[in-house]
Amino acid sequence: MGVSTFMGLQTALRGLIAQQEALDITGHNIANANTLGYSRQEVTTSASRALRINTGSSAGNGKAELGTGVDVTGVTRARDRFLDLQYRAQAMRLGGLAARVQGMETIEGALAEPGETGISQELQTFWTDWEGLANSPEDSAARQAVIEAGKSLGVSLAELNQQLTYAAEVAEGEYASIAGKGGEVEAKAKELALLNGAIRSSMTEGAEPNDLLDRRDLLLDELSKLGQVSVTEAADGTVEVGFGDAAAPLVAGTEVTWPQELSEPKGKLGALLELVEPGGTIESFRGELNAFAEGLADAVNAIHTEGGGPAFFTYEAGKGAATLGVAVTAAEVQTASDGSVGGNDIATAIGALRGGAVDRSYAAFVTRVGTEMNEARSGETNAQALLNAVSERRESTSGVSLDEEMTNLQRFQRGYEASARAMTALDEALDVLINRTGRVGL
Amino acid sequence: MTMRITEGMTRRTVLQDLGATKSRLTQLQREISSGHRITRPADDPFGTGRTLQLSGELEGFKQYKSNVDDGVGWVTATETALSRITDTVQRARELLVQGGNDSNGQVAREGIAAEIEALTEAVKQEANVTYDDRYIFSGTATETPPYALGAGDEYAGNEGTIQRVIGKGVSIGVNVNIQTILGNGAAAGDDKLLDVLRDIAADLRGGTAANAEALRGTDLERLSANIDELTRVRAVVGATTNRLETAGTRLEQLQEASLKQLSQTYDVDIAEALVTYSSEQAAYETALRSGAKLIQPSLMDFLK
Repeated sequence: MGVSTFMGLQTALRGLIAQQEALDITGHNIANANTLGYSRQEVTTSASRALRINTGSSAGNGKAELGTGVDVTGVTRARDRFLDLQYRAQAMRLGGLAARVQGMETIEGALAEPGETGISQELQTFWTDWEGLANSPEDSAARQAVIEAGKSLGVSLAELNQQLTYAAEVAEGEYASIAGKGGEVEAKAKELALLNGAIRSSMTEGAEPNDLLDRRDLLLDELSKLGQVSVTEAADGTVEVGFGDAAAPLVAGTEVTWPQELSEPKGKLGALLELVEPGGTIESFRGELNAFAEGLADAVNAIHTEGGGPAFFTYEAGKGAATLGVAVTAAEVQTASDGSVGGNDIATAIGALRGGAVDRSYAAFVTRVGTEMNEARSGETNAQALLNAVSERRESTSGVSLDEEMTNLQRFQRGYEASARAMTALDEALDVLINRTGRVGL
Repeated sequence: MTMRITEGMTRRTVLQDLGATKSRLTQLQREISSGHRITRPADDPFGTGRTLQLSGELEGFKQYKSNVDDGVGWVTATETALSRITDTVQRARELLVQGGNDSNGQVAREGIAAEIEALTEAVKQEANVTYDDRYIFSGTATETPPYALGAGDEYAGNEGTIQRVIGKGVSIGVNVNIQTILGNGAAAGDDKLLDVLRDIAADLRGGTAANAEALRGTDLERLSANIDELTRVRAVVGATTNRLETAGTRLEQLQEASLKQLSQTYDVDIAEALVTYSSEQAAYETALRSGAKLIQPSLMDFLK
């Protein structure tokens, strides 16, 4: 079988086309070097189908394969699914811990401990004022001082309690804005559904829609910061996305089912829920604060009423921190159980509460807030480090290296030039054949 | 295969390292400027709890110290008053010895009786002494003078004790129940100071041989017994003063120890912090310099 005269031109053209596509993809990579979620793309080529020719030689069997150049077989993206899974697991952890830290920072700040302005200082002032009153029980200014110190404690406790409420409200608001109708989850789910549709139609046509896949992976990364994401890939290229512990898949094909009920979504939403749910962090902090306020009131009242006098503090049971108030006037402040003006056994006994169970219960409360905050902070740092490590490895696989792209640019440019040179060489050969052959003697 | 390193990775690593160093610098800066190692509970939760406990303890020691100072004032006032009463009673005893001598005529005895009565009034006046506007000898009825001046010798105070807390669970009574020394006067017949002084005046004025005998005998004995009692009470007051002073010294030591512990838990070691700060700052600058060098060059600088 003979070979067409112009076959070499075709081979060179294939080379030109392949090198040009590779250049185009290099340009695409460079353009997207800083695009979030972009995976570097590569043109895959293979030698195109060879022609079987008769060599006419007696050596061998007289057959050979003549190469016809190059075919572009596809454009692939450099991506490691296993790293994606690791990334999403860490992003979920980090999202949760970061939200927890953020939610509790208000509370930690409101404590203002250790310092001159926290409740512990006010508590010490309160005890000191009682001891001062014990030294001069006749002094009405000293009586007024214990009332003012008691009121000021009540106000500070109510403020701290208010800060807890505020932290809970903020967390609830954030949860609603993310998980509610028209929130971040729904917006991402809708985009995922659209992408699923587009990817399916590309795949049906046999093309790998790399940029759409990147975009979908990025959305899944972002979604996994908000809650636990489970992804099941279907044969048609679409993914079914499960979110948190929602009963129905968030995205199935091009269908979105949202809003749904979540009880333990993990990630940021999980952390927000954990802060505000009944029995959650904020409620348990409030419980401890109430127990402290009520313990303080009960301990003081028990001594204050020993001589038959009125209770010093009043509070609404179960809401001690919010409702602690002073119930007596200066004249009603009791200093002695026998009612004598110079007696000080009651004032002394109340002053002696310093350093006791009441102080300890407050210190334990502060320690607990600190411990939880500390755990959340170090957890956040840890998750961030792990996420960085996974990001690093993912970036190493998928990221665009400009040095590499510059090298490729150089390589493909040279390839293109060489193909063009091959074409020129053939052209010159054909020139001899067409224009000069058969012109002997002319 | 070696790891591919992209510009993005280099940039991010440089940024992360700078961020980490910067955040350590900020934390150190916060510690140095506040002077405290713990600036929020999460820095050291248990240290925070301990800090709260220790500062409470410290406040307690300060208060005990001020209680001791107040107690010392109270006891000193008591001691001064008792010493004056003793002087007065010594003078009465001299007059009694003088009045018991029969060489004195009745007129002279009348004069001595008048002086004894004046001394009795002086004793009551001393008993009505106040400290910080409070009657120190009225028990807990500190706004009532213990004795009305004039004829009535009834004790108007109560038997309450005034306590000063001088340590955790330790309190000390700082007042003296003056009734046990001065008594309730002749009407009560309790052989206490006022009763005896009134009897002496009566015996001086009585003029009978029995009166003169009593002056030399029972009156003198009873007065001496009261002087002994006064001396005993003053010894008790002196012991209280000593106890308070010892307690004051001990509290100062405790306060110092507690302050030291608090400082170890809560305060930053400035020298150490500054050294760490300098080395972190050097690390930061090095990171900046190397980061800048690392980010700048690319293959593009070398390709034609």
